[in-house]
Amino acid sequence: MKRTAALRAVALGAAVAMIATACSSGSGSDDATEGAGESTTLTWWHNSNTGAGKDYYDQLADEFEGDHPGVTVEVSALAHEDMLTKLDAAFQTGDQPDVFMERGGGELKAHVEAGLVKDISDSAADTISAIGGSVAGWQAEGQTYALPFSLGVVGFWYNKQIFADAGITEAPTTMDDLYAAIDTLKAAGIEPISVGAGDKWPAAHYWYYFALRQCSQEVLTDAVQTLDFSDDCWVRAGTSLEELVAKEPFNTGFLATVAQTGPASASGLLATGKVAMELAGHWEPGVMQGLTDDGQGLGENTGWFAFPEVAGGEGDPKAQLGGGDAWACSNDAPDVCVDFLEFMLSNDVQKGFAELDMGLPTLPSATAFVSAPELAQLLAVRNEAPYIQLYFDTAFGESIGGAMNDAIANVFGGVGSAQDVVDATVAAAESA
Amino acid sequence: MTSIVAPPSRGSRTSGARSASGSRRRVSPLVYIASVFIALVTLSPVIYAVLGGFRSNGQLAESPAGLPSPWIFTNYISVITSSSFWQYGLNSMIIAAVTTALVVVAGVMAAYPLARYRFKGRQALFNVFVLGLLFPLTVAIIPLFLMVRDLGLTNSYWGVALPQAAFALPMTIVILRPFLMALPNELEEAAMLDGASRIGFFWRILIPLSGPGMVTVGVLAFVASWNGYLLPLLFLNDPALKTLPLGVADFSTQYSADTAGVLAFTSLAIIPALVFFLTMQKRIVSGLQGAVKG
Amino acid sequence: MNPGATDQATAWSVASGPRGRGASSNQWRKRLEITFFVAPALLLFAIFVIVPVLQAGRYSVFNWNGLGPLDNFVGLQNYVQALGDEIFQRAVRNNLTIAFFSIAIQLPIGIMVALLLNRKFRGQTAMRVIVFVPYVLAEVVAGVVWVLILQPNGPLDAVLDTLGLGFIGQVWLGDPSVALWTVMGVLTWKYSGLAIVLLLAGLQGVPEELHEAASIDGATWWQVQRKITIPLLGPTIRTWIFLSLIGSLQLFDMVWILTKGGPVNATVTMATYLINQGTDRQQYGYASAVAILLFCISFILAILYQTLFLNRDAGVDKPRRKKVTR
Repeated sequence: MKRTAALRAVALGAAVAMIATACSSGSGSDDATEGAGESTTLTWWHNSNTGAGKDYYDQLADEFEGDHPGVTVEVSALAHEDMLTKLDAAFQTGDQPDVFMERGGGELKAHVEAGLVKDISDSAADTISAIGGSVAGWQAEGQTYALPFSLGVVGFWYNKQIFADAGITEAPTTMDDLYAAIDTLKAAGIEPISVGAGDKWPAAHYWYYFALRQCSQEVLTDAVQTLDFSDDCWVRAGTSLEELVAKEPFNTGFLATVAQTGPASASGLLATGKVAMELAGHWEPGVMQGLTDDGQGLGENTGWFAFPEVAGGEGDPKAQLGGGDAWACSNDAPDVCVDFLEFMLSNDVQKGFAELDMGLPTLPSATAFVSAPELAQLLAVRNEAPYIQLYFDTAFGESIGGAMNDAIANVFGGVGSAQDVVDATVAAAESA
Repeated sequence: MTSIVAPPSRGSRTSGARSASGSRRRVSPLVYIASVFIALVTLSPVIYAVLGGFRSNGQLAESPAGLPSPWIFTNYISVITSSSFWQYGLNSMIIAAVTTALVVVAGVMAAYPLARYRFKGRQALFNVFVLGLLFPLTVAIIPLFLMVRDLGLTNSYWGVALPQAAFALPMTIVILRPFLMALPNELEEAAMLDGASRIGFFWRILIPLSGPGMVTVGVLAFVASWNGYLLPLLFLNDPALKTLPLGVADFSTQYSADTAGVLAFTSLAIIPALVFFLTMQKRIVSGLQGAVKG
Repeated sequence: MNPGATDQATAWSVASGPRGRGASSNQWRKRLEITFFVAPALLLFAIFVIVPVLQAGRYSVFNWNGLGPLDNFVGLQNYVQALGDEIFQRAVRNNLTIAFFSIAIQLPIGIMVALLLNRKFRGQTAMRVIVFVPYVLAEVVAGVVWVLILQPNGPLDAVLDTLGLGFIGQVWLGDPSVALWTVMGVLTWKYSGLAIVLLLAGLQGVPEELHEAASIDGATWWQVQRKITIPLLGPTIRTWIFLSLIGSLQLFDMVWILTKGGPVNATVTMATYLINQGTDRQQYGYASAVAILLFCISFILAILYQTLFLNRDAGVDKPRRKKVTR
């Protein structure tokens, strides 16, 4: 087995457990395993299952064990989709790991209502105030349930070399610019955009962005609260999408292309220079590094620009679509779980996270350590955005979001219309 | 249900029983041409995977369907020397063996009264099992998950083996029952004259005679368990307990950029199932023939 | 399901008299024995199959997201919603299409190959092993390899180009109008082996003498097969069709790994739809209703098939009396 360090820690733990229990905040803890001579185990599921990210998290687990004698951290690095499947199953049975990822929005609400997540408002108060405003997405009824460790926005990642070779000198800022770039690239014999429509959510991001550009902030916030989609901007979002799809800018076979596994995935095509750009979140450089033999991704050629303006839209053109990941503790996790969360959000850990370009740190003191220039650029856009709209599928929860995504994928496949997306969403909202 | 396993029909079939004239006629070249074609179509994905494991990612990108040039052994060596691969294989082996043992023992025991006793409700009981053919695992996966947890079996070999065995039972009983029915009544009469009880008859005569049938259902259960994906995915969180299909899925997402590595891992994952099948092949065919040596 | 089952001669019950036991004690003894033999299987089956399926039935009348208590009773609304849902209807159509073509494609292949392998020729044993290889491979393993083979500009397209058949090239899994047929092709590759092996086993039951008699009468090999062998394979064929039909209706693994039911639901099946509704959308009540519908559809088709075709074979279950040769 690979985690011999963990075994040693257990052996050590038995010896120092007496001291540990003396120091622990033993306020009638509900966790029976914290008795004298016992060791505590924290199970932790995460989705950084490749390369440097995986190693970093293993190293952090060891470090935490070193600082907390008697505590063992059992790490499971899972592929993203597998992790979601297993988390869903685990939530139903109350078998969830002690530490898991929360994406906020409707998903978090459902977990809170079912009493699955620990309320950490008081126990992690210092860290919560250090993080600041970003925590808002993981609060419900004024209580905080998770600590966001990465918060980013979605935009176009592009291959600078390909753009330059095709003679595109300026990154597009309006849809017309984007259409011009698409035509130029096609004329040069390059597939302009890859999209992982097989996984649906990457395709859905386009519609989300068009909705963000077409609808005012007020309409958006209302919709999340009241599930009212009567404003005609929702249909206009679909019309804009139909226009883009009609341009046929996407890679061959995009309807079955997966988001980020393998060289034939949307990220893989961009990383290996097969397409010019892809709409994706802040995780993209990290993903691309895992998809090239040299571990560099696009390296020097990585470029980024924000989603273009849409003429005639009522939304703020600087508004961004985004979301993040937070660490949460399961409701029945031992108290030391909150310590682990705070450790994960400590300056050093966030700094290492930033230096490895694993995401965009939420701790303001760590944002300076984001090393890649394009991530720094994205960070600036994130910090300047008047508001950041959480991915709709997360915001509305899985049942409405899922219906939305299916209908959007149909528009990509040419078998659905702008109106269908709104109808499907409304129907799902009614039965939810 | 009809018998899949042909009931014993004509005594033992030794090669001598087949007259050479009937079957050993000149074989037309068409037979060979057809055979080669069938073999190619059947094996090409496997060949692609095995050869792909001997190539580099550069070669795979360069000519997707080419031959290795030069041959590269590092992909295979790195898989073989990884402890996780062997751990996955061992887990799969244990789970499949436990499942098979459960299915064969419970199945043959249940098939015996259903085949050779006369009692009220026999047909109803048989139909209850047959109905199970219509329930795929997916139908009951969520309640099943809750059940396994309530029994405290998550993250254990039993948590996967018991449900797998339960879902393999209908097929087992459907195959074994006609097989047991077809054994001649004279056996029973002879056993009775020797003063054996029914249970004695079951252990001493029926079990040895139904060997071929048990091999058949055992192999089907073993293959189904060996290949199972959904149950292990949901019930085994502990990396130390993961089975080979989970390993393949994990590996192919974790090292998705390393197509050659994925192909090497996949090829090696195929081998145990193939070796098992090759060693059992003769037994399977004879099991399916259901020949009774009189 | 099979009313044609015959009763065994029960020598023991006849013989109970001379042993001087009362009939009732004998009855008890028999009941005990039956219980002893059936108990392990029945217990396993009840705990892990029957109870979970009944549970699924219970969930199906609630609107439940899998978290918290079952408290939102909606009656049959989930069923109404599923039956009216376009994607579910499409899934049913896809399942029936797959069932029809599985049988229409695999049966001729199975018969031809089984007849071929039933002849004695050099390499016959090797061939018998080869045809069963795809069936032995795990769906995940086969799926991973096929996805790589079928990717755009992948090995398959390269082979077609080399053979000068580049024009056949398709976006195999990414084009909604092609994907179902691609999946069909992979299914044929994966599952034909089962048909071949079963039919080969069935051929063992065809007496050699018939062939010899026929060939002495001057019939060609093909005539013998058509007039004698294939009709005698009837019961085996009907059984295999039944298994294939049920398997097609419940198809999940292979489709899930190849396409997840996409692109744009082109290859959705009832099972992928229910897993999708369950795991991706958290609608466990609704997904359970779909599961129960899947069972009902399988059940109705199974019963129909049984009454239409299988009862003809009732006689086949009767043990053929044969002399015990010593």
